[in-house]
Amino acid sequence: MEDATVSSPCRPERLQKLAVSDTGFVFDPQTGQSFTLNSTGLMSLNLLKKGTTVENTAACLAREYGVSVEVASSSLEAFLVQFGRYL
Amino acid sequence: MQNMFNKAIWEPPFIQPHKIGEINKFGRRAAKDNICDTVFGVPVKLLVEKYGSPVFVTSEKQIRENVRRVKRAFERRYGNVIHGWSYKTNYTSAICNIMHQEGSWAEVVSEFEYEKARLLGVPGERIIFNGPNKSKAILERAIAEGARIHVDHLEELHTIESIAIARGSVVPVTLRLNFDTGYTEPWSRFGFNIESGQAYLAAKLVALSPHLKLTGLHSHIGTFILEPRAYAEQVRIMCKFMRELEGNENIQIESLDIGGGFPSNNALKGVYLPPEQSIPAISDYVNAVTSALMEGTQYRRESNRPLPQLIFESGRAMVDDAQMLLTSVVGTKRLADGRRACVLDGGANLLFTSYWYNHLIKLTSEIDGPVEETVLYGPLCMNIDVVRHSIHLPPLKHGDILAVHCVGAYNNTQWMQFIEYRPNVVLVHEDGESSIIRKAEDLSVMTQQDCLPSHLQIPFLDIGRNGRINKIASVGQIEAVS
Ligand SMILES: Cc1ncc(COP(=O)(O)O)c(C=O)c1O
Repeated sequence: MEDATVSSPCRPERLQKLAVSDTGFVFDPQTGQSFTLNSTGLMSLNLLKKGTTVENTAACLAREYGVSVEVASSSLEAFLVQFGRYL
Repeated sequence: MQNMFNKAIWEPPFIQPHKIGEINKFGRRAAKDNICDTVFGVPVKLLVEKYGSPVFVTSEKQIRENVRRVKRAFERRYGNVIHGWSYKTNYTSAICNIMHQEGSWAEVVSEFEYEKARLLGVPGERIIFNGPNKSKAILERAIAEGARIHVDHLEELHTIESIAIARGSVVPVTLRLNFDTGYTEPWSRFGFNIESGQAYLAAKLVALSPHLKLTGLHSHIGTFILEPRAYAEQVRIMCKFMRELEGNENIQIESLDIGGGFPSNNALKGVYLPPEQSIPAISDYVNAVTSALMEGTQYRRESNRPLPQLIFESGRAMVDDAQMLLTSVVGTKRLADGRRACVLDGGANLLFTSYWYNHLIKLTSEIDGPVEETVLYGPLCMNIDVVRHSIHLPPLKHGDILAVHCVGAYNNTQWMQFIEYRPNVVLVHEDGESSIIRKAEDLSVMTQQDCLPSHLQIPFLDIGRNGRINKIASVGQIEAVS
């Protein structure tokens, strides 16, 4: 893994196990827990699952949604902390 | 959703866990039973198109059914019963007249309410006049018109006596009592206290006056009372007091008024169980009252004397579920803590009751998307303007309409006129037709009481009313420049 700042619960191996529908429904077979993501959350998870770094994911978000990289990165960090609590 | 630069609209990434057992609430779509596309039989779209948003929608049928159901239950068990419609609960004229057509008297608590009842055509003899602030002038009128005067304090009693002396007649009065039932917070600021002996003293003063006659006892033990036994205790205490008075003084009580306080089908904040489980049936209250009354008046039957008339002044239980508020989403946001939030065009300005109820709120059309915890704000520039602190809803968008249930009690009277016009109040008639029963306010309503002194007729001294520039010599001396 290239990026050491990704918190451990969000390791790509762990994320890979999650079943994600294209509408944002997430099922975690390890815990049986299910989730719903909003559109930015869905995009982030799909990129991270593919092993995209947090930095690059933030840059993609920024480009796609027309916000600054700083806004995208800080939101993504908060998202990963939140996500990490559930995995 | 795309913004003006053709990019998708930004929202911080967010994940919403589904709760076990509530999966249907958190699916992609809100549960079908959470959608109400008609209100009292009329399509929501039609109502909003015709009357605007927000709009209060009232059901004539529901009001009539509510009153009939409670009255019938009392009449079956006791017979001699009067319902006094508590004007303060909702004094929209049409609503009062529905109540009066059902036989309910007017229960009023102020000069304004008294005058309103009379304006509607309610005869004085069918008005119960409560309240701690009755001026001498309104008491004179009410006494002349034969209203039932419920006395709150000694000063009022003296005023009534002076009016009786001036009229040269004997004025019948009812004393408002307060006491501890052990179930509710005693409302000891209203009326005369039994435990301290004040009530007995007041009754004695009435008995001693040749100008007054004590004919009734009244008490109101509180509102939204969840324990029917509180009423049994209330009636027991009132009957005991009545018997004591009748035993010692030359008094015959003709009516016992138990006030209001029956709950409506609303969810009180802080009560864990939903209303269907936490609120006893009205029949439980009726049984509690009438059983205690039969027991407490046994001494009358034994001596072959007539039973007192029973008066109840139920407000919210009669009208709360007969009105809804339709309100539209004007904006949406994601709060810093991740929660979804919506701004509505109707808030605490129209829903005073949102301070103490978690009103049932339903969607009026199907909305796709993940259901999430959402905060519903009103349109006021005030932090306290929250309609619901937490409700699970799909992603709402501008223009979506929500139906707030059970808003008929205390909102059309306690709403506040703060920065917004108050909206139309509509009645769905029994035949399904609808009409406005209180017109939306406009600028003329809002400014009609304002008076502008002559030197304050124009806002800017350098611009005349006609828009022309004025030459200002000094304040108060203006010359128009042509
Ligand atoms: C004297 C009196 N009667 C009746 C009512 C109506 O009460 P409710 O709406 O709880 O039935 C009130 C309300 O405060 C009241 O003060």
